[in-house]
Amino acid sequence: MTDFLNYLVLGLTRGSMYALIALGYTLVYGVLQLINFAHSEVFMSGAFGSYLIVGMFVHDGQHLAWWQVTLVMFLGLLSGALVGAAVAWGLERVAYRPLRRRGAPKLAFLISAIGMSFFLSQLAGKLFNRLSQNQFPSYFDQNKAVFTIPGSGATVSRIQLIVIVSAVIMMVFLDRLVSGTKLGRSIRGVAEDAPTAALMGIDIDKTISRTFIIGGALGGAAGFLFGTTFVFSNIMGFIPGVKAFAAAVLGGIGNIRGAMIGGLLLGVVENLVPTFPWNGSGGWIGLQWTDVVAFVVLVLVLVFRPTGILGERLGRAA
Amino acid sequence: MSASVQRRPGESILSNPLVGRALGCLALSFVLALMIGKQEGTQQDFGLAFRQAVLGPRILWFLLIGVLVFVLLTFWPRVQPYLNRPGIRPLAVGGLTVVVAYALLKWTDSTAVSDGKFGTLSDAASQTGTLAPLARTFFTAPLPWVLFLVAFAVGAAAVVIRRAVLSWVGAAIAVLAGVWAWYSHSLVQSLLGSPDHSTGALVALLGFLTIAAACAATALSAEESANTRGFINGVFAWRPGMPLVGVALLLGLAGFAIATWFSPGNRNATLVDTASMFSTTGLSPLSKAYLGWLGYVLFALSLALAAYAAYRRDARLGWGAAGLGLVSLVLNLVALHDISAVGASTAYDGATGAWQNLGTGGWLACATFLLLAGAGYIVATAGSERGTIARTKADIAAGIGKIPGKSKALILFVLAGALFYPPMATPFWQKVLVSEIGIYVLLAIGLNVVVGWAGLLDLGFIAFYAIGSYTTAYFVGALPIQPPEWMRLSPLLCIPIAIIICLIAGVSLGAPTLRLRGDYLAIVTLGFGEIIRIVAVNNPGNFTNGPRGAFGIPQPEIHLGPIHIDWGQASLQYWYLLLVIVGLVILAFNRLEQSRLGRAWAAIREDEVAAQATGVNTTRVKLLAFAIGASTSGVAGVFFASQIGYINPDNFVLNNSILVVAYVVFGGMGSLPGAMAGAAVLTWLPEFLKDQVPAEDRQMWIGAVILLMMIFRPAGLIPAKRRAAELHGLDEPSSAETTAVAANEGMGATK
Repeated sequence: MTDFLNYLVLGLTRGSMYALIALGYTLVYGVLQLINFAHSEVFMSGAFGSYLIVGMFVHDGQHLAWWQVTLVMFLGLLSGALVGAAVAWGLERVAYRPLRRRGAPKLAFLISAIGMSFFLSQLAGKLFNRLSQNQFPSYFDQNKAVFTIPGSGATVSRIQLIVIVSAVIMMVFLDRLVSGTKLGRSIRGVAEDAPTAALMGIDIDKTISRTFIIGGALGGAAGFLFGTTFVFSNIMGFIPGVKAFAAAVLGGIGNIRGAMIGGLLLGVVENLVPTFPWNGSGGWIGLQWTDVVAFVVLVLVLVFRPTGILGERLGRAA
Repeated sequence: MSASVQRRPGESILSNPLVGRALGCLALSFVLALMIGKQEGTQQDFGLAFRQAVLGPRILWFLLIGVLVFVLLTFWPRVQPYLNRPGIRPLAVGGLTVVVAYALLKWTDSTAVSDGKFGTLSDAASQTGTLAPLARTFFTAPLPWVLFLVAFAVGAAAVVIRRAVLSWVGAAIAVLAGVWAWYSHSLVQSLLGSPDHSTGALVALLGFLTIAAACAATALSAEESANTRGFINGVFAWRPGMPLVGVALLLGLAGFAIATWFSPGNRNATLVDTASMFSTTGLSPLSKAYLGWLGYVLFALSLALAAYAAYRRDARLGWGAAGLGLVSLVLNLVALHDISAVGASTAYDGATGAWQNLGTGGWLACATFLLLAGAGYIVATAGSERGTIARTKADIAAGIGKIPGKSKALILFVLAGALFYPPMATPFWQKVLVSEIGIYVLLAIGLNVVVGWAGLLDLGFIAFYAIGSYTTAYFVGALPIQPPEWMRLSPLLCIPIAIIICLIAGVSLGAPTLRLRGDYLAIVTLGFGEIIRIVAVNNPGNFTNGPRGAFGIPQPEIHLGPIHIDWGQASLQYWYLLLVIVGLVILAFNRLEQSRLGRAWAAIREDEVAAQATGVNTTRVKLLAFAIGASTSGVAGVFFASQIGYINPDNFVLNNSILVVAYVVFGGMGSLPGAMAGAAVLTWLPEFLKDQVPAEDRQMWIGAVILLMMIFRPAGLIPAKRRAAELHGLDEPSSAETTAVAANEGMGATK
């Protein structure tokens, strides 16, 4: 039971990061019906950007008070989100808008995004020396347990709590934004039917641009959380990117709540299934099969529900 | 500029298009500054690379580039009228060619000059006292660039102010510079004295000659503006095969007069030298005659015959030229085999055996004869009546009517290159040709069926490649689990089995996932690819040998009656095996595209529901696409495994799957030549970039190239005909409506 809960918390932590990234995929898919393959690099640049900012304020080996940690965390999330938003905006201007103007075939967008992804990750590598194990300065004890789940020995560590709580806050914020504001309405309008939305006075280019910015901000913030929890590098985006894309599809691509559920589910499943029966002895399947489990679950879900758990359409479900 | 005056209140200054463009250009130059330069920085100091890139004075140069781009874009409408002046296009092409030759290409392979590029070579050469003064002068620091700039500037001035005298001066300078460069380079080569494969001097010569031709065109043309394409098309519409003859003339002159034929040790023997080397050996009389006089005679004869046949468009002469060219080709090959074999047996120092130690000359001659034979064949099959297809020059200029034999000529060029370029290349490039370019071309052809024709996005294509490789490894007994003795096979016999297994794998992946639409299919195939790789890493049942992979896979061999072929270690033999495989696959797929099945794929690609309504069995057709693509990939896997001899899961990472998709789309989705060209270009590029940029930065540049290609030419390098037809209508190019009114009225509409 203790192990089960520990793995569950671990899964929720990872899953909430997947969910944040998946939202970027799903938002863009909602308005453009295109997979934004370069979103993983938006995530990566969020990690580097926030590292540069946070590194100016804190140093390795410091022990900050809880309110200082909160402040630094907020700063990190904000800077990650800003850098991610900026990169996503540029990405849309360079790799999407010119192709849209030319009426390019759908796959051309995919390939231009892939080109952009190579470009960004290697440019970051050039600027940041291609180190594979960068770490944020450690300014508080991340792994200290905050509380123990009653009825078992399972604990939630500080960083896990921070990741889950901030992810949930951001997701709620996004949900409100999309369902309750004018910008959200225009995003949903474009997702539902772009030509009609244009006739209703919505500036499509602007809406698409802003959708990229929102998705990029979430991805960049996720980059900060990921970098703080684990290590970061210029090629860090690839695997979480693929997983988050899978999570977006799992929940029903183009569907915001679907992406949240898909991300959390994927994180939990890939932590719980390989370790079954959770007795601390490695599990029957084994951790080396984690990725296989994730993809098999994805395929199974898609075979029985071809449009994901919650179905498609940003417009309808949000 | 007036736009800023008319700015409405509430709009920011950023929405002014001019300001936006200026900012974009400056951003571009900033990014360029980041991209170009050394890799710097440490873990302690991340900012170092950034500061070095953009805070030094070098940023000014990049900003200057940005400003130049901005100016050019802004004043483009004023520049445009000049672009139709006669001579401007060849001038631009020639200038670019020379810059490429000076800045990017290798000028020598000799290890005495570090990177072999023009800059280092000319530094070294200008300091070398033993070099002839003429060459030393040429390589003295600013002179080559000054020569080029003067020639280019005079040419440009001639185009703008249209003075014939100026044009001829420009042409003279360009010819002088080109010949001087070529001659100086050959002096340097004879001093260095090692066999050489570098192209820099040749390309520079061609560039200078192009500039000279541009100047001549400017001087000779009477009209204000030129329709170069229309002129060239008009000329060649009457004389199909003529371009081939022209290229063959150049290649033949190079091959018979200046290139190396035999190079054991450090010798560089031209045809004349080779003839005298072998005058006293036991070379067969035929080969001796070929070296002595027959070769020249055959070259002259077949050139004259092909040129005359093309000029007269005479079918019988064309067949004659084709026959003569083929006979000469065979004789040439016999002579090449003889000199290399006899050279080895009489032990010229360093001669190692049949087909070894041959220089470029013999292979150039081979290409020459092949092209001449091809020219004859094109003439013979083009039909003798003038204007059967194209009526007037105006029609041709307007793009109405086809130029006969154009596609055949292109195929022949590619064939000649594919057959006779690899033996001329360095061992490094031979290896690249086989294990990078060739294999990925085959993979791209396979994926083109799935992505390009059937429109199914497959991001796990490399999985089938892995399956093919591991199948081979199993059946030759290179895996921990051995097959029973009676099932042990030689690598080539694994091909049918790999095809069958990949067919099964393709169908079993396709069957459950066919309900899924495009993007869902993409993630499922991606997952499949990853699953296959992880299975290979995790080694269930000790089948795949885990991350270490399989090794000791034997080389392919054929023992069939009297025929014994054994592919050893060298890459070149594999190239020809691969050529056969690719050729067969292309033949089959070409038929497939035109078939009922090909049309069904196009139908489901465009509109699945409509296709189903018109009676296409979509499930079956999609499954077939998957299975056919998969089996091609499997064949590539067999080839890869047996050529390289060892495989491990690292060969089959997800990145490679994505790259193959990028190759197909980059080349032109749904176009067989496009997919091949895309794969060839994008696998060649990293190897080329190795000499130009820091090795770790290559992928960044490739990403930028892919991005730019998609922005400026989203349909790909060679767009598919069917897709173009979907966009512009099948019967006529769109230009016909706008420009050919007179042609339509005068000679009768082509519709």
